[in-house]
Amino acid sequence: MALPPFVLVVLLIVLPAVDATVFSLGRVPINNAAFNTGMHLVRSTGLTLEVYRQLFASRFFRQDLALTLVVTGVSVVLIVILAYVLALYVRFSEGFLPRVLRQLYLVPMFIPVVIASYALTTFYVDHGLLHALFTHLGLHYGSPIYHQNGIVLGQVWQGIPFAVLLLSSGLDGLAQEQIEAARDAGANALTVFRRIVLPLNVVPLLIVGTFTFIGIMGSFTIPYLIGPNAPQMLAVEMQAHFTSYNQPQPAVAMAVVTFLIAAVAGAFYVWGTARSSRRSA
Amino acid sequence: MAHSRHAYGAVELSPGRWVSRGVGHALVATVATLLLTAGLAFAQGNPCGTSDNVTLNFYSGGDVNVQNLWQNDILPAYRKACPNVTLNLVFSEHGTGDQLTFDRIAAAKQAGKSSGVDIWETGSLLQNGGEAGLVDKVSADIIPNLSKVDPAVLAQRGGYGVPYRGSSVVLAYDSSQVSNPPTTLQGLFDWIRANPGKFTYNPPDTGGSGDNFVQAVLKTSVDPGDLSTFQTDYQPALESEWDQGWAVLNGLGKDMYQGGFYPKGNAGVLQLLGRGSIAIAPVWSDMALSYLQQGLLPDNVKLEQLDPPFNGGASYVGIIADSPHKAVDYAFLNWLLTPDVQAIVIDKMNGYPGVKWDYVPQDVRTKFAAIAKSYSFGFSSKFDNDLHQQWYQKVAGAKKE
Repeated sequence: MALPPFVLVVLLIVLPAVDATVFSLGRVPINNAAFNTGMHLVRSTGLTLEVYRQLFASRFFRQDLALTLVVTGVSVVLIVILAYVLALYVRFSEGFLPRVLRQLYLVPMFIPVVIASYALTTFYVDHGLLHALFTHLGLHYGSPIYHQNGIVLGQVWQGIPFAVLLLSSGLDGLAQEQIEAARDAGANALTVFRRIVLPLNVVPLLIVGTFTFIGIMGSFTIPYLIGPNAPQMLAVEMQAHFTSYNQPQPAVAMAVVTFLIAAVAGAFYVWGTARSSRRSA
Repeated sequence: MAHSRHAYGAVELSPGRWVSRGVGHALVATVATLLLTAGLAFAQGNPCGTSDNVTLNFYSGGDVNVQNLWQNDILPAYRKACPNVTLNLVFSEHGTGDQLTFDRIAAAKQAGKSSGVDIWETGSLLQNGGEAGLVDKVSADIIPNLSKVDPAVLAQRGGYGVPYRGSSVVLAYDSSQVSNPPTTLQGLFDWIRANPGKFTYNPPDTGGSGDNFVQAVLKTSVDPGDLSTFQTDYQPALESEWDQGWAVLNGLGKDMYQGGFYPKGNAGVLQLLGRGSIAIAPVWSDMALSYLQQGLLPDNVKLEQLDPPFNGGASYVGIIADSPHKAVDYAFLNWLLTPDVQAIVIDKMNGYPGVKWDYVPQDVRTKFAAIAKSYSFGFSSKFDNDLHQQWYQKVAGAKKE
């Protein structure tokens, strides 16, 4: 039963990925027109790390990589914190506001990212809505649009629904009796959170963190539309190398680097879930 | 990607594809033969090329404005001029079917059959087809009105098509903020330095208007003897001639909109201009004029061409080598270049004529006086690719000077 999907994955993902990796190591395939018509190719009969050496020797690539990691790191931390606070609030409070919030935090999920990016730009950009409001109140306004803060803003908007959904499903599994028992035993809210709620949420938090990290690492639309001219996030830079500069080789090498970083995050996730399932077993 | 570097009217402007290579001798022979046939047709004095009822299959592609131009304006006018000739328009939106058409024509030639395509409007595929013997070379001998076309424009596609309309990058300025717009590139630099924050252009890889502005600046430091190499060939060593131009662009960075922000795409620049955030910018003539017509740009935005002019390019219609109605093809393409039809093209597309401005009716010329000049040609696509990357490194990502 597992064979067809396995074959499909090998054919559509593994083989092209291996092909591309070998290409980035200096072996230019003759039958691939997109690769062998590229400019400034490194051609070698054996495998060489020359493309990577050139890449890491370039100040511009290092700046792109740094921007990508900073934006991704900051966005993941913000998303996890905001989403967890939202999930806890909605889970443990009752009334009108939590009910409204429960619907509101899903809104970004239903807005295509291109439209959201455009809306964010119109709202936050210089001479935009917020600027007008600030000017009216006599306040100074510095727009985050076309800066790295703008990308973070977009990522947080985009990332929250998925994160809250996943985290609140973890919280919903929490037995109310358990919490009440702890309260009866004299535990305050913080102790309940630290000793009961948080331990049960380690795995969902890990999942949210990993997937958000990988998603933002490779995101294109938001950094393309909201980000600065330079440096750029890696996905935007890859696209530019591939189409605008006709340099597929460094583009592929960047993809490999991105993949390796994502793989580290993935490994962390596997390790974490394995550890927690061993514990619960 | 959606951020086309081409003009609004789908005018193909990737200059590198215009690289002209040698023409097969066989083709020259064919052209010579056809020349005779055509000469005969005109000699017989039939402006339609035939008095029989003939149907031409005309393949075309582009944006919806191109489709409207043919369907609503040019083809109905031709029906009046030549009632016995029917043009069967096969339109491919955004040219997505063009590769398929190319393959079909190539396969027909291989199988020794007729492709069923008589004339074809497309981009760089016309020249590829010409070099593969699928598309005929055209000249003033078979299409007399080609003598009114700038030979350089014809040469840009290797002569494998009739340029019937064009577009050029021009300077747009907000006349409420600028009373004396600069008329030279140097004058523009001075203006930018004197008015910080009021000018910008799009990154060269995101649209032709910014690309051609950057090329115009780089050209100022290029050895005139190497210019044709830059336009039609590729020698990376010559790129050191750009250094002075990059220094100028980098130096201008701090005087750009917001101290160095470059909006993505041709449209991004026009939006800033429309909002009054900037006062001068390089734009595509046809795109800006359409924006003005639709009210997307306020009336106080005016266009003018610099001296020397920015780059531009044309759209070409070619003749398929296996077309059985060559004389009719020639007659139609010749008619396309007549003043009245060119006036329709300029009016409907807000474009440049295929012929030189001298051959356009006086009232149209007066209307577009500020931009009714010829245009220069861009760098080859390989130079352009390097230019895109170097712009990010030497201008956007460079330390501000």
